Amino acid sequence: MTSTAQELHPPPMLEPGRTILELNGLEKRYPGTHALKPVNLAFKAGEIHAIVGENGAGKSTLIKLLTGVMPRTSGEVIWEGKPEALATPHEAMALGINAVHQEVVLCRHLTVAGNMFLGEENSRFGLLQQRAMVKEAQKIIDGLGFDLPAHVMLGDLTIGQQQLIAAARATVRGTKFLIFDEPTAYLTRKEADQLFKLIRRLKGEGVTIIYISHRMEEVFELADRVSVLRDGTLVGTRNIGETNDAELVKMMINRSIEQIYHKEHFTPGATIVETRSLSGKGFENVSITVRAGEIVGLYGLIGAGRSEFVTTLYGRHRKSAGQIMWQGKEVQVNSEHDAIRLGMALAPESRRDQGLCLNLPVAMNLNLPIYKRISKNLLISGSQEKAEADRQIADLRIKTPTRGALASSLSGGNQQKIVIGKWLAHGAKLFIFDEPTVGVDVGTKAEIYRLFSTLLSKGAGIILISSYLPEVYELADTLHVFRRGKLVATHGFRTASHEDILGQALAEKQEKSGGQK
Amino acid sequence: MSTEAIPAEKSKRNFNALFGLTLLGLLLLMWVVLAVATPSFATTLNITNLLRQGSLIAILAVGQTFVIITGGIDLSVGAIVGFATVIVALLINAGWPVWVAVLVTLLVGVAIGLFHGFGIVKMGLPPFIITLATMTSLRGIGLLMTNGNSISINSDAFQAFSRGLLLGIPYLFWMVILVAVPAYVFLHHTRWGRYLFSVGSNAEAARLSGVNVPRTIFMAYILSGLLAAFVGVLLASRIGIGNPTQGDTYELQAIASSVIGGTSLFGAIGSVHGPLIGSFILSTINNGANLLNVNTFWQRVITGLLIIVIVYFDGLRRRGK
Repeated sequence: MTSTAQELHPPPMLEPGRTILELNGLEKRYPGTHALKPVNLAFKAGEIHAIVGENGAGKSTLIKLLTGVMPRTSGEVIWEGKPEALATPHEAMALGINAVHQEVVLCRHLTVAGNMFLGEENSRFGLLQQRAMVKEAQKIIDGLGFDLPAHVMLGDLTIGQQQLIAAARATVRGTKFLIFDEPTAYLTRKEADQLFKLIRRLKGEGVTIIYISHRMEEVFELADRVSVLRDGTLVGTRNIGETNDAELVKMMINRSIEQIYHKEHFTPGATIVETRSLSGKGFENVSITVRAGEIVGLYGLIGAGRSEFVTTLYGRHRKSAGQIMWQGKEVQVNSEHDAIRLGMALAPESRRDQGLCLNLPVAMNLNLPIYKRISKNLLISGSQEKAEADRQIADLRIKTPTRGALASSLSGGNQQKIVIGKWLAHGAKLFIFDEPTVGVDVGTKAEIYRLFSTLLSKGAGIILISSYLPEVYELADTLHVFRRGKLVATHGFRTASHEDILGQALAEKQEKSGGQK
Repeated sequence: MSTEAIPAEKSKRNFNALFGLTLLGLLLLMWVVLAVATPSFATTLNITNLLRQGSLIAILAVGQTFVIITGGIDLSVGAIVGFATVIVALLINAGWPVWVAVLVTLLVGVAIGLFHGFGIVKMGLPPFIITLATMTSLRGIGLLMTNGNSISINSDAFQAFSRGLLLGIPYLFWMVILVAVPAYVFLHHTRWGRYLFSVGSNAEAARLSGVNVPRTIFMAYILSGLLAAFVGVLLASRIGIGNPTQGDTYELQAIASSVIGGTSLFGAIGSVHGPLIGSFILSTINNGANLLNVNTFWQRVITGLLIIVIVYFDGLRRRGK
């Protein structure tokens, strides 16, 4: 195919500064959301172009469109002067567009060399030339300056090393345009340096790089230009020398606070739960208190340790140190079962993987936590089961044809209402919401926030985890900022600026002003 | 098929009823055709015989369905049947009262189910593997215990049971009803039944909702083991011997019955009445083929083809709705 031809005869080095890829009103709509509003942007050959933005700003949508993973709704992609359909990943790769994803998408059970040549194996008479491939792979890896063996199983390497291999793999395929999606999320500093070296070298060879990252210092270290996305809109593009991180942060979060944040203040009641120097896998030394009638927000980037903290509190993982005090008494929470018995409820982050039984009816999903209550000697009271389900559907305004419809047939927002709603009848004291509004539209968001108020008014406490700053900012009575497994700052209701909080969550070395420890 | 107790949306409910009826219709159609085509089908002797044949697989299929609903599989049930015939034969011949011998045999089935639960929950083995291991080991243990010989059971009363009739219907078929009614209530009207479905649908979501997932898995395999041991007792009564090689391929017939009856091998979809009908469809195929003098080798081929056809059409129907 064309890709092979290009590899055999690599194109002459692209003249720098020429436009290689142009987006003309590129747009993506999903049912119910406008993920990417028409974007006009031109990438120059041989530039490193950073793209920053909050979660849900449209970065991943943009990548998916460029790599052919998803079709666009409208607009044009012009590659070297010619409009291209980019309908399949294969088509994108044939043009020379590749991506290195945050999560390594390679085969852990193949060797490093096997992965590097996956799909383009070197074979003779139908037999793999294993030794030749290992040798070739080793040459490439050495050439890139990575100190890694080509003959070992990929799964034996650290995630960071696998990431380097993924990057190396992308470079050997006639790549002209390479997208890095938060590549350093799992890398050590040393590995990141190796990666940066590789990126600069690719740039030297005329490859255009899109670099997506949450880490400002990386953007300033690497990029030539930076574009900011916010709520699916391209807010602006700056030359790196003509901007600073304060400006970028402002561009990222400066939005009108919509009227969706429904905040009622209740006088905090008795302490429901308190953690004392709680440590576990992915977080350490976290002390927080949740009282009746208040929302405690946990803000931080994905991987900052917030989810790990609450799942440990919920008994999913073992704590390694510290105490959990429940209504003033120390308790051991060894399983979700223990947590639920105490009166905790968790609406997990991923509703498809953790929150819902998709091929079961809505009613069954809603009643799952309360079957014990609505059954006598194991026998379920059919009328009570129906009544509970119908009440929930009405209270939560879940749009479903009937209580017997399968959960999979509902929209994302309505599914999320089930994930949250199933705990309402359970009568829990502490509600933990992990990213409760990811992928739901504004209207449903507002309904979910109103639900919070209902819970608080009944004397419950809420832990709200969000990567979406306005959400925790506008709702949390106490806001804790997490970074790399540690609680780094605590604020009251709207007592700090967005910029300070974002700075605290992002900053790698220097503390930004404004946050008390 | 999964949600009898919660009335589904109307079209789905109608569909479920229709599907149940269609399977039942298929079964009745086969009977009518056979009754017309062969003089010997519609005889009391043959019908009671058919009911006896089908009963054993029917009971196994119910236990198998519990396991499949959780997203698992139990390959050991055929081996448990053979092993149970040996246990019950040895105990009866050792002079134990029949009811004690039967009870102990059932407990052996429970113990095997417990072992499966342990392997899956505690050792993290895939259900396919742990039950495959039991399948071969149990046959081996049975052969060691009997030295490869059959044990004749010296209790006429025990053997008479399988020949007995109540209201003209064989005891063995009454046993199906004895199992099916509680099984139906259990699966569709108790919270543990709901938990089986929830674990099969999304174990993580079930766990986060407070469902004791390990206990639910244990329960499914214990029930399957128990019912298999029960079938072993019934089989021993029917053939009058204990022999560890009995019940060969029963596990496959039980799985096939379950799947024909609308159970999804991916879990979370299944019923009690579906597998029952499925097992009698299979038995009727065999019975009819015998009466029509179809070469027994061909019977196997036909059974295989029919499984493909029935499950394929079931899949079409599901997708079509």
